[in-house]
Amino acid sequence: MKDLRSPLAKAKGLGASGDASHHFWVQRVSALAMIGLVIWICFSIAFLPEANYATVVAWLQSPLNGIITLLFVILSFYHAQLGLQVIIEDYVSSHSKRLFGILFIKFLSYFMMAAGVYAVIKITLGGH
Amino acid sequence: MAEFTLPANSILTKGKKTAAPAGAKNIKNFIIYRYDPDSGKNPRTDTFEVDMDNCGPMVLDALIKIKGEMDSSLAMRRSCREGICGSCSMNIDGRNGLACTTAISDIEGDVTVYPLPHQPVVKDLVSDLTNFYAQYASVKPWMQTDAPVSPDRERLQSKEDREKLDGLYECILCACCSTACPSYWWNSDRYLGPAALLNSYRWINDSRDEATGERLDELDDPFKLYRCHTIMSCTDVCPKGLNPAKSIAKIKQLLIERKM
Repeated sequence: MKDLRSPLAKAKGLGASGDASHHFWVQRVSALAMIGLVIWICFSIAFLPEANYATVVAWLQSPLNGIITLLFVILSFYHAQLGLQVIIEDYVSSHSKRLFGILFIKFLSYFMMAAGVYAVIKITLGGH
Repeated sequence: MAEFTLPANSILTKGKKTAAPAGAKNIKNFIIYRYDPDSGKNPRTDTFEVDMDNCGPMVLDALIKIKGEMDSSLAMRRSCREGICGSCSMNIDGRNGLACTTAISDIEGDVTVYPLPHQPVVKDLVSDLTNFYAQYASVKPWMQTDAPVSPDRERLQSKEDREKLDGLYECILCACCSTACPSYWWNSDRYLGPAALLNSYRWINDSRDEATGERLDELDDPFKLYRCHTIMSCTDVCPKGLNPAKSIAKIKQLLIERKM
């Protein structure tokens, strides 16, 4: 079927979604937070006296270390989800495949987030 | 998702070579993209040997010489020959620009001339900019006001506010920027592209315009605006020296500013 819509109608499309600036903003805010968190986690691990199981568990059981590690787990998967969504929007042109890809990324990132949170809580509350 | 076969007529072939007149000493090769969709044949690149001792300094001079003296079937757009109409935008030596303001002497070796990238080709160097112009129209590039002004008065603007339009109003809509943008290549059906966004910002930034909020509303979209990933090819190629990437960043900044 020939598309007889005017070029202007096609350019306007379905109009603006109206909420894209939120995605942009939270991606930047989470990136900002990740700068501090990544530096903190790298230095913390690098400065551990020994790299064995007991030392790492003891380190994670300190309340501050536990809280910051939780933040790191949640924010890194959230930030990854936002970034991967942008990549899918860029390169997947089929609408149904794009929707499937974005849903897959979202479900996977929330699952990984929950798994990470569960692991940190399990260790910090003593079950190892 | 991925397409592993190329569409019909997309493989470039080697075309004919037209030699310079006998006795020409200073020869430069121009390798020009030729395509006629109506012929059903694949696009080809023709080589023209141009006698530089008998040719003007700009790429457009050589193209006009080729069309006038060597192959009259070459299709291209040109008008003002001084960088103000934006007609002769094309891909020269792998870079988008205006043929009339690109000096042949700045190009080492053979000069390759292709149409603007990733646009449908009407013929040879003429690309179909229908969507590009429609996207420009979709940002309503005119002043929108509600407050009435007496018919015998102008809408006043301070000197400082007028200066805010410098670097924006000079856009000639040649499409060099938008067609140099990889994001525009992949999503030009929905992404407005740097040229339309720069022109939208030209009105957002105009102190006399009263539709700033509505203009921002219409851009708050993952595709229309946020396909820009600050690649900066637009700013790199703009033959007028404008900075569309900065305009897009300013629009993004305003969209956040009004949330806080």
